[in-house]
Amino acid sequence: MSMIEVSDLQKTFGKGDEAVHAVRGVDFQVDEGQIFGLLGANGAGKSTCVLMLATLLAPTGGSARVNGFDVLKQPNEVRQSFGAALQETGLDPLQKGVELLELHGRLYGYDKQTAKARAADLLETVGLSDDGGRRIGTYSGGMRRRLDLAAALIHHPRILFLDEPTTGLDPASRRAIWEEVSKLKSEGVTVLLTTQYLEEADQLADHVAIMADGVIAATGTPDDLKAGMGADVVDVELADEAEAARAAAAVGLEAKVVGNEIRISATDGPAVLARVMNQLRDLGIEPKGVSLTQPTLDDVFLNLTDGGSGHE
Amino acid sequence: MSDHTVAPTKPASQATQIRLLTVRMLLKVMREPAVTIPNLAISVFFLFTYNGAFGSSDVTLIPGVGGNYLNFILPVTVLFSSISGGAAGLTLVADLETGYFRRQLSMPLSRSAIVLAAILLGAIQVLVQATLILSLGLLMGADPAAGVGGALALLGFALLWGMGFAGYSVATGLKTGNAQAAQAATFIFFPLMFLAPVFLPMEQLAGWIQAIAKVNPTTYMLEAMRSVMIQGWVASSLIKGLAAGGIFAAITLTAAVRVARSKTSRA
Repeated sequence: MSMIEVSDLQKTFGKGDEAVHAVRGVDFQVDEGQIFGLLGANGAGKSTCVLMLATLLAPTGGSARVNGFDVLKQPNEVRQSFGAALQETGLDPLQKGVELLELHGRLYGYDKQTAKARAADLLETVGLSDDGGRRIGTYSGGMRRRLDLAAALIHHPRILFLDEPTTGLDPASRRAIWEEVSKLKSEGVTVLLTTQYLEEADQLADHVAIMADGVIAATGTPDDLKAGMGADVVDVELADEAEAARAAAAVGLEAKVVGNEIRISATDGPAVLARVMNQLRDLGIEPKGVSLTQPTLDDVFLNLTDGGSGHE
Repeated sequence: MSDHTVAPTKPASQATQIRLLTVRMLLKVMREPAVTIPNLAISVFFLFTYNGAFGSSDVTLIPGVGGNYLNFILPVTVLFSSISGGAAGLTLVADLETGYFRRQLSMPLSRSAIVLAAILLGAIQVLVQATLILSLGLLMGADPAAGVGGALALLGFALLWGMGFAGYSVATGLKTGNAQAAQAATFIFFPLMFLAPVFLPMEQLAGWIQAIAKVNPTTYMLEAMRSVMIQGWVASSLIKGLAAGGIFAAITLTAAVRVARSKTSRA
């Protein structure tokens, strides 16, 4: 069953000449228990998508359903269905960690005792049992993120929205969040995750959609996407540019000259490499170096996002 | 106690939401005494200094003052304490700044509960501060002609006026997201206060001030509150005061509802 269904979703900010088309028609589905990764650079439109699903922004076109509920027509049912940890954590520094969780537990519908028990459980889960009694203003950035995740989970949501959950975190905190997300998946929670980190998407996501400029440029499993690049890359280094040009002409159209190298993209990299070596030997050309690179999600990403402009 | 390992089926009722959110805001305000204490301190300061300056002077003999200057000046300080109703907007601005406001919008909460909680917080602030000032005044020797009921009426007027400030601060605070703007009511109230019969009865004021004072709603609030202190129950004064305070509160609260409606709906 699809827990999240997004169909031709659009968001335009402003009007007329000043209109900004942040999301220009996005389609995807996330099945129960899946982790779906929205990957993209800053400004690609992934946060805007999440904010529309979280009922914080109204779509200007298309539709979206969360847990079967329409985000525009049934916002409260949608809100009861998901938990969200957004980029801006939105915590009140004067509140204590445990107060936040107990309050939210009650607002989502637990009675006082139940909310207390749930808050205590979650503080332990995210490793804040000893800090719950302190004001949030005294927390470090990593502690805030963990509390934020706990708050997102307070009502046992079936769907979790995580908008760049590890941006700016140190490697240890990042790994802790990854472990927690994997654990939630094993409990059947459906996760929509946005990230700028390819490694994160590769590690966590069952399905990835790469967003660029408000549309989904590619979608599939991380392996599909890598394979879909078509591209193992064979690089052959030669003595100079003239020789590289001569070699490229001999090998055929698919070879590109890059400085004193020729580069060939192909699905069957090893076979191509063998063929090229034979051709070069026939011409009497002695390569100075050879490499075969198989694609990573990085390559897919950079290929789709103009060399990653705006991406750090 | 139900099972905390399963999801709750539906959110808390609106009444529970309002109660829980108001308690949260009260805790927040109490943890930031630097925001609330100054206003209370100024009210106390006014009570002491004005009474000290005029309380044992010939001013008490002026017709309309009624012999006991404390009775005459206490309404001014009680009314001043109602500025604390602005806590409503200030707390919302703080929540806008931290992003907590948006977090609430992502939850299955009644949109009006979020704003009503803030206004209730303002009301509680006004009642607490006004009660403290009133009690201090009574201890110092003020004695309302209308008795206990008169003292309660004083609180009622402070609350009404305070709701005006609450509405103003919510409307401007939510609209601008700016604490200074939400507090600007103080700067409007101050000159209005001194263009009203604050220290002396209306008849004693200079002509041009009298002219302004006649169209200044603060005048009618003060005169209504003074009537219960000095004369007893005077229907005409009370009605004018209720009208002045009611119109002020109605205007600002209407603005607050409008701004809140747009601010809590999706962009």
